[in-house]
Amino acid sequence: MMEDFEPVIIAFCCHYCAYTAADMAGSQRRCYPANVRIIRVPCSGKVDVIHILKAFENGADGVYVAGCLEGDCHFKNGNIRAARRVAYARKLMESVGIEGERLEMVNLSAGMGDRFAEIAGRITEKIRKMGPNPIRNTIRPVA
Amino acid sequence: MKTADPFQTSNRVLVIGGGVGGIRTALDLAEAQKHVVLIDRANAIGGLMTLLDRTFPTNNCDLCTISPTLSESSRSQYIELMPLTQVTRLSGEEGNFSAQLTTAPRYIDLSRCTACGECHKQFPECVNFNPGLDHRAPTCMRYPQATPQAFSIDMSRCSDPKALAACCPAHAIVLDDRQTQSEFQIGAVVMAPGASVFDPAAIDSFSYGRDPDVITSLEYERIMSASGPTQGRLMCPSDGRTPEKIAWIQCVGSRGMQKGAVSYCSGVCCMFALKEAIVTKERFQDSIEASIFYMDMRTFGKDYELYYERSRKDYGVRFVRSRPHSVFRKNGQGQLTVTFASEDSSTMNEETFDLVVLATGFQIGAETRQLADTLGITLNPHGFAQTGAFDPVATSRPGVYACGMFESPKDIPETMTQASAAACRASAHLPAPEALSESEDEQTSERDVTDEEPRIGVFICDCGESIGAVVHVPELAAFAAKLPGVALAESVGHGCSRESMSRIQEAIVEHKLNRVVLGGCSPRTHEARFQDVLQRAGLNKYLLEIANLRDQDAWVHLDHPDKANAKARQLIWSAVMSVKKAHALADNYLPINRDVLVVGGGVAGMTAALRLADQGFRVFLAERRSMLGGTANLVHRTLEGDDVQAFINDLRQKVMSHLRIQVIFNAFIVDHSGMPGMYTTGMQVGPQMFYRQIRHGVTILATGALPRRPDGYLLGQHDAVMTQLDADALIEDAPEKVKAWDTVVMIQCVGSRQPDNPNCSRVCCQAAVKNALRILEQNPETRIFILYRDMRTYGFQEDYYLKAREKGVIFVRYEPALPPVVQAAGSLIEVAFTDPVLGRSVMVTADALLLSTGFISDDESTEDLATIFKIPRTSDGYFLEDHIKLRPVDFSKPGFYMAGTAHAPKNIRESIAQAEASAARAMTMLSRENINLGAATARVDSQKCAACLICVRACPFGVPFINADGYSEIDPAKCHGCGVCAAECPAKAIQLMQFEDDQILSKVSSLLERMVA
Repeated sequence: MMEDFEPVIIAFCCHYCAYTAADMAGSQRRCYPANVRIIRVPCSGKVDVIHILKAFENGADGVYVAGCLEGDCHFKNGNIRAARRVAYARKLMESVGIEGERLEMVNLSAGMGDRFAEIAGRITEKIRKMGPNPIRNTIRPVA
Repeated sequence: MKTADPFQTSNRVLVIGGGVGGIRTALDLAEAQKHVVLIDRANAIGGLMTLLDRTFPTNNCDLCTISPTLSESSRSQYIELMPLTQVTRLSGEEGNFSAQLTTAPRYIDLSRCTACGECHKQFPECVNFNPGLDHRAPTCMRYPQATPQAFSIDMSRCSDPKALAACCPAHAIVLDDRQTQSEFQIGAVVMAPGASVFDPAAIDSFSYGRDPDVITSLEYERIMSASGPTQGRLMCPSDGRTPEKIAWIQCVGSRGMQKGAVSYCSGVCCMFALKEAIVTKERFQDSIEASIFYMDMRTFGKDYELYYERSRKDYGVRFVRSRPHSVFRKNGQGQLTVTFASEDSSTMNEETFDLVVLATGFQIGAETRQLADTLGITLNPHGFAQTGAFDPVATSRPGVYACGMFESPKDIPETMTQASAAACRASAHLPAPEALSESEDEQTSERDVTDEEPRIGVFICDCGESIGAVVHVPELAAFAAKLPGVALAESVGHGCSRESMSRIQEAIVEHKLNRVVLGGCSPRTHEARFQDVLQRAGLNKYLLEIANLRDQDAWVHLDHPDKANAKARQLIWSAVMSVKKAHALADNYLPINRDVLVVGGGVAGMTAALRLADQGFRVFLAERRSMLGGTANLVHRTLEGDDVQAFINDLRQKVMSHLRIQVIFNAFIVDHSGMPGMYTTGMQVGPQMFYRQIRHGVTILATGALPRRPDGYLLGQHDAVMTQLDADALIEDAPEKVKAWDTVVMIQCVGSRQPDNPNCSRVCCQAAVKNALRILEQNPETRIFILYRDMRTYGFQEDYYLKAREKGVIFVRYEPALPPVVQAAGSLIEVAFTDPVLGRSVMVTADALLLSTGFISDDESTEDLATIFKIPRTSDGYFLEDHIKLRPVDFSKPGFYMAGTAHAPKNIRESIAQAEASAARAMTMLSRENINLGAATARVDSQKCAACLICVRACPFGVPFINADGYSEIDPAKCHGCGVCAAECPAKAIQLMQFEDDQILSKVSSLLERMVA
């Protein structure tokens, strides 16, 4: 089963940096795994703990929040708050038996198309090694 | 809105030429509320760029990059567009010209023509669009997204005009159409007529025109283009087979080697050959071998060197440093033979190719010379517009400006920059209009869709090959049609073309759609265009969701179409689910502070300040040193021999004495806050470093780069070793020392084009040639060796390179892996290097060693400023523009512009042009009274708010407060829209509009849905 396991990963990307970097990776034709699905947010600080937990509840194998480099947040400190929330969400996940490593905070700037592709590749590989989100085996539709 | 009747006064600018340059000038003027008459000889605007398949360095499809601009310009109420029109007389003087315009007959009534294409179908001989590759038809529309959207007829080629007229269902064909003349009063003229492409048929040895498989680079673009004669199928014109080996031959018609060729460098051919080779490799990988025959690879633009590196390392493009002698087909052979000499062998080599592409350069055609004559402006010896040494867009006639290719060969970003610069200069001749209130601009009535069930329209672009080659668009549309809530789903080709946009607009009305999903490119670049479409169709513009199928899908998964298709379905599904939750929103407006802050007092900063102050704006110029002038203070002469110091002193004088410019010396920016249009920047000033705040609406960053001084080659350790800048000063100040030099060696690319500073510093080749010529002026007997990797004397600088060679300067190429070795020999310097032609090591003892050290970004300062102003930088520390092609001086942050070497290395003239461009862009903003801040603001649900103060503490800008009614209130005019409060609010009483929780959560769940294909 692990052989053909293709993880699904949600990436919450800040409009000002990571989302722009993702576009740049595209224009440079930098390939990264199709496993990563991007959701655009105005700031990584907009990403709520509930958004992250819902993603895992709905079966995401991994989630990451991508914000601006520290000190470079378009809204002063949204990325710092995001990092704190990510740390908090990891604790909640651990307490219900989902590995905290499935969730990550990353920082990059708008000019880093290469880095975006690199991060997407690295996280996909990491999650692939970890295997599916355990919640996917426990929560099955009743009918 | 009140403006003087444009037809009675000289309050207008005449822009000649509707290529990207002319369009940019017209748009900048129009956005700053100046009236424009835009004329073009052709029947539609667009110029040369519309013929290109893709543009470097993003390898974008061109049509989708330019077509929004085209539609924009035809829409603007300030622009009168006159195709098929030429100037036949210009009298009067700056500020008060009278221009006679002559319009050729189109034989089509534009008000009736629906561009149905029926006439074209009935006379199906293809279109006049593909230069040299197709037949000319009686009717021609130059490209599918043409503006104006109509055909034109070449009556001289029509054998049966009556039948042609009869076939038009709209009765729009007017057989007795006549040439018309009109007279316009205008304040200034901007010439952007472009250049023409060299015709290689003049060169016998390349078989062009005799062998169908020898084509020009522009024809190659047409073959690769989805709208071209082969619908994008790459084939050999001789027999239609797919080529396996393609050769590009550089400098055809440029750099003076062949018959009829010009002596200058056409500047852009290296980049477009690289682009064509990369695009070919992208599409065909290893099944096609791409070889480029070149003399010097001139990738001197911003980040172009990285593109060159990528073409070699990632795409495997092969580079042969050689000038081919001939191209011919041996009897009975399927392939073409190219003969060339190479550096490592003395005999002639032969190699066969399926297709040979000639990278042809640019020249000024007879019609443009005629135009220059009509307008009474001086041309340089090459036939291009003669402009000022430090006034790059001013022609010899006051009030007449030139930009783009007509000024000198250049690429699109530089054309855009010069075009904005020309807009800046031209607008100075018109009276300043009153500021316009943005909300007055809007006058659409919106349909209220609150209570309607979702009726979603899904429109999917193929973007030519960009999406269509990877994602199966019709299947995707069929998939979308079955999704719940979707009333209509269809593919729309180039969604951003005028045709498709009006199709979408009609579909919204016809099918009573109340939500729209667009599958196409990034919302970052095109959201505003499609929001406009919704508005024109009577829908609120926020009922739109864009699925990023191009930048984040097709382009990323080129090699895995199955994965790209699956992801595309997921993205469309998610957009549909999310748009269901969207609702109508209103934009917020804020008044603009019309003062300007310019950071950096070098040439660029001073020029921008002066241009804006001259046109009535108050400018604060903050300089971190105690003197204006920046790096230019270290330069004495330009390559052309002009006196830089005299120019700088004059500029400094004008800036210091200007009533509307306040110069703040020793100023260090320390903080920055506020909203677009109303910023406050704090700085510490003067020796006492007291704190001061400036309020401003616009910011121009012109903080420069640093002349590099790397270690190595004994720089700083030996008196005979110096940089080109040191030498420039020495030649000026102590010519007697220079006179005594017997032998001089210069080394190029010291500290550039290497891992710690990967880009080309652009100015060092011209600096080396300049100093070599100046040293020879002092002592014609001096032996000078210039050790180089590629000589990058682009444009007319090539003249000076040739002159240096004529005067005996010896140019020797070195490989980066085998750099020259330098050691001290008393007061002299010994330089050992390998001569690639002789193939052996040579030792020269020199009196002086001049290192071409170029620029490096001022990393410390740009990093600080990037952090304080929240603006992006490139990986090598230069400021990052919003769009490399179309917005080369704009930051993504509204009201922020850049100029000079803080953007990328450039010479003084180029810095001045960019400074003027930033001033023009600033004026587009400053001409308005208020600014649209969008609708993404936080809203509080008073029923849920418990007044817990968390949002008050969380907001980075201190906006929320607990109001008299006891709940949190957020002023939409102050909210920046980050959504931090919404994420923190424990009661979920706050929602950020456009990014509400239910929208985000529906995206989360739909992106995770296991899809059944």
